[in-house]
Amino acid sequence: MSFFRKKSNSKIHSNSISTSQMMKTSSTNELKTNLQENIQIIKDSLGKSSDIIIREIRIGKEETIKAGIIYTDGLTDTDSLQNFILETLMLDIKGTELQKKVSPEQNLISVLKDFAMTVGEIKELTNFEELFSGLLSGDTILLIDGYAQGLIISNRQWVERGVTESTAQMVVRGPREGFSENLRVNTALVRRKIKDPNLWMESKVIGKRTKTNVSMMYINGIVNDKTVKEVRLRLDKIDIDGILESGNIEELIQDAPLSPFPTVFNTERPDIVAAALLEGRIAILVDGTPFVLIVPALFTQFFQSSEDYYQRADIASLIRLLRFFAFTIALLAPAFFIAITTFHHVMLPPALLISLAAQREGVPFPAFVEAIIMEVTFEILREAGVRMPRNIGSAMSIVGAFVIGTAAVEAGIISAAMVIVVSITAISSFVSPTYDLAISVRMLRFGFMALAASFGLVGITIGLIALLLHLCSLRSFGVPYMSPVAPFNLPDQEDTFIRLPRWKMFTRPSLINQQNIVRQQDSASAKPEPPKNKEYEGV
Amino acid sequence: MKKCMFVLLILSLFLTGCWDRRELNELGITLALGIDKVEDEYQVTAQVVVPSEISSKTSTGRSPVTLFQATGETVYEALRKITKISPRKIYPGHLRTLVLGEDLAEEGIAESLDFLSRDWEFRSDFFVVIAKDMTAAEVLNVTTTIENIPANKMFNTLKTSEASWAATNAFILDELIANLTSDGKEAVLTGIIVTGEQEMGSSKQNVESITPSARIEYNGLAVFKKDKLVGWLTEIDGRRYNAIVNEVQNTVTAISCPEEGKATLEIIQFDSKMKGKMNKGKPEVDINIKVKGNVGEVECQINLNDPETIVELEKNTEKEMEERIKSTIETVQKQYKSDIFGFGNAIHRSNPKEWKKIKEQWDEEFPEMTANVKVDVKLVHTGTVGNSFLEEIEGR
Repeated sequence: MSFFRKKSNSKIHSNSISTSQMMKTSSTNELKTNLQENIQIIKDSLGKSSDIIIREIRIGKEETIKAGIIYTDGLTDTDSLQNFILETLMLDIKGTELQKKVSPEQNLISVLKDFAMTVGEIKELTNFEELFSGLLSGDTILLIDGYAQGLIISNRQWVERGVTESTAQMVVRGPREGFSENLRVNTALVRRKIKDPNLWMESKVIGKRTKTNVSMMYINGIVNDKTVKEVRLRLDKIDIDGILESGNIEELIQDAPLSPFPTVFNTERPDIVAAALLEGRIAILVDGTPFVLIVPALFTQFFQSSEDYYQRADIASLIRLLRFFAFTIALLAPAFFIAITTFHHVMLPPALLISLAAQREGVPFPAFVEAIIMEVTFEILREAGVRMPRNIGSAMSIVGAFVIGTAAVEAGIISAAMVIVVSITAISSFVSPTYDLAISVRMLRFGFMALAASFGLVGITIGLIALLLHLCSLRSFGVPYMSPVAPFNLPDQEDTFIRLPRWKMFTRPSLINQQNIVRQQDSASAKPEPPKNKEYEGV
Repeated sequence: MKKCMFVLLILSLFLTGCWDRRELNELGITLALGIDKVEDEYQVTAQVVVPSEISSKTSTGRSPVTLFQATGETVYEALRKITKISPRKIYPGHLRTLVLGEDLAEEGIAESLDFLSRDWEFRSDFFVVIAKDMTAAEVLNVTTTIENIPANKMFNTLKTSEASWAATNAFILDELIANLTSDGKEAVLTGIIVTGEQEMGSSKQNVESITPSARIEYNGLAVFKKDKLVGWLTEIDGRRYNAIVNEVQNTVTAISCPEEGKATLEIIQFDSKMKGKMNKGKPEVDINIKVKGNVGEVECQINLNDPETIVELEKNTEKEMEERIKSTIETVQKQYKSDIFGFGNAIHRSNPKEWKKIKEQWDEEFPEMTANVKVDVKLVHTGTVGNSFLEEIEGR
């Protein structure tokens, strides 16, 4: 405990340093009237970084007005800088008497903003804080000598990955597009799916140094306002230097940070986000990552693939049941195998017992050690496969398959049955449509194996009870994690273990205190039928 | 509260009773067990599987099973003594067949069965058979073909022959104990013998020839009185016994044709009802047997196309079966005086009050009592042909 306390103390300490640093740079927070002075401050603050371009020009009829244009190379669209800023200032307004337009109400800066600049988004600025955040986000800054004011001209543009196919969550049928790293592109992808004025977006800047844009998205009128308030509160509480991925946010806002189970859902598919919004959930989009967070997240949600809703309901239901089955296998198969082969031999049919015993002849380790060896080997192979450059992958899979599959059995270190059990477990753990739950299962599996090795099926049962108690105690943003199973909710069963056809799904899942849970009016006419009268016949 | 629950959960792990962590390759998997009585001591013979010889990969051609034998004052003691010679502790959880020696059966089997029903490692679903004219150890000492584990051979042979020949009786331990303890029914057990040259039985060469020198075979039913063997029923009597106690599922039986020659009846449905009653203070049973069967074989001159013939055949069969069954009942009544059919139970069910009175002298009542047998035969099909081609062969 004291360790943690010490750590948190030091954290506070480092934070205070960074704040004081900030204070130093912005000690002269207000812009100066003198252009040279301003430019000097910018240069000093940015450490003369080479990607900051400072261009000093003279504008006006007499070319008497000194102006400075500052932008970050690589983040700014140089075409529009050329055509709409430099050209305007240096050529187009040359003949204009700028000074004549200046009035007590409008100084030169406002005049330029209102009459000259042919770009879309433009803002006045008065202090360095705004200046830096704009400059470093890719905006162009225009400063004019003699004014303690400037303009932020938005012409950001940088090289980025386009909208490509989602790779983490694959579907056979359904939209292919996945989110990209750009927040605006991502919000646009969602907006394109839901053209409802009630689709609201709240933006925040999180991270003292990274200044990452974070957007909260929800459909007003469906979402529970209390949940929105809670998400807002948790996001506002974040006090950290940098947010590089939505995972950082997830860790800072989740309900049960020590639980192996995820209480925040993440996806890189716009259609999943759109569906979640329609159910009354809240999406948190983070700039710089294609992974969008969705809250509240329920246990059963991790078994639902977006494809379930695009396929026929009957096959979708069967496949969903299969996923629950695969989850059980992934969690318990090795443990069950260990328990039965070391404690409950009586449960095996005689022929199987003899066959398993024959395979185990000469295996030097107990079944538990054998299973651990295989599981750890598999995890190493899997991790290597993920991290390794793609073109070495095939070499590794050959070695992996050969080492695990054949050599270990032939050398008599591992029994063939154990290879089968570990393989089916590994394959089952990848059936889950979301990666997060697969991770929890992988961790818990080892615990169950240990319980099985020391207490047999009794151990597994106790473990399952403890697991169930834990799951039932979890909440995600106020909603019980195991709902609609515990607490049981009959209408929600339409989309839990099975999925009913669309014409039977009348309500949204009832997350606590949603405002509007009617999806479509409950009526018999929802079910499609061919017309009964004969007039269409032969058409 | 949460912590308290957690502690309780952990503690409950230590409350479990029977548990024993043993790896699969630490088990001496015993599929057949033999118990003999040798000079006032129990001799226990365990037929233990050699797993590596079962898998085709690691097999070196040696015997798939091996015998371990030990004697002791009690069965349990003898069984434990086997650890002196076996590298692995005997694991009887998958026991398929228990063979009791004839000597033991004559002295009484009850004492030796207590351990088997008490020990938690035994599942009580194994078959119990009696070695006829030999010791159990001798029966277990024979190699078998097709099923290379003799215990499995014994198990499967008994199962199939019970289902489709019905002269044997596959009793599991629970049924046997129920019969032993019942007042109105005595136990029977199927006999098992080794035919051919017994000395050759244990060698690998035994199964290498097409006709093994020694074979294990089921033969006859052992009749018990209380827990002591009193005699043997022949195979034919054994089938009739099964007919009386409604244990026939499917069998074939030869019947006489109206004039001469034989035909075969394949029984496809068999139902026997036994009803007890008191007639003038004397116990009596009615046995009503309903048989549905096919004409499976015809070796005589009859016209099957004529419904009259079928009726006649049915009548003949009924009469013949009634007589046969009656003679079997008589044999048992006179020769063994042991109520293996459960007539006592039938009386008990129908006249519980009278049963209480005659229960004590049931041994005297049983040999004297009357059994009315009525058989009702229905022939359904005659197979894929009508009349036999035998008629068409000229000169016959």
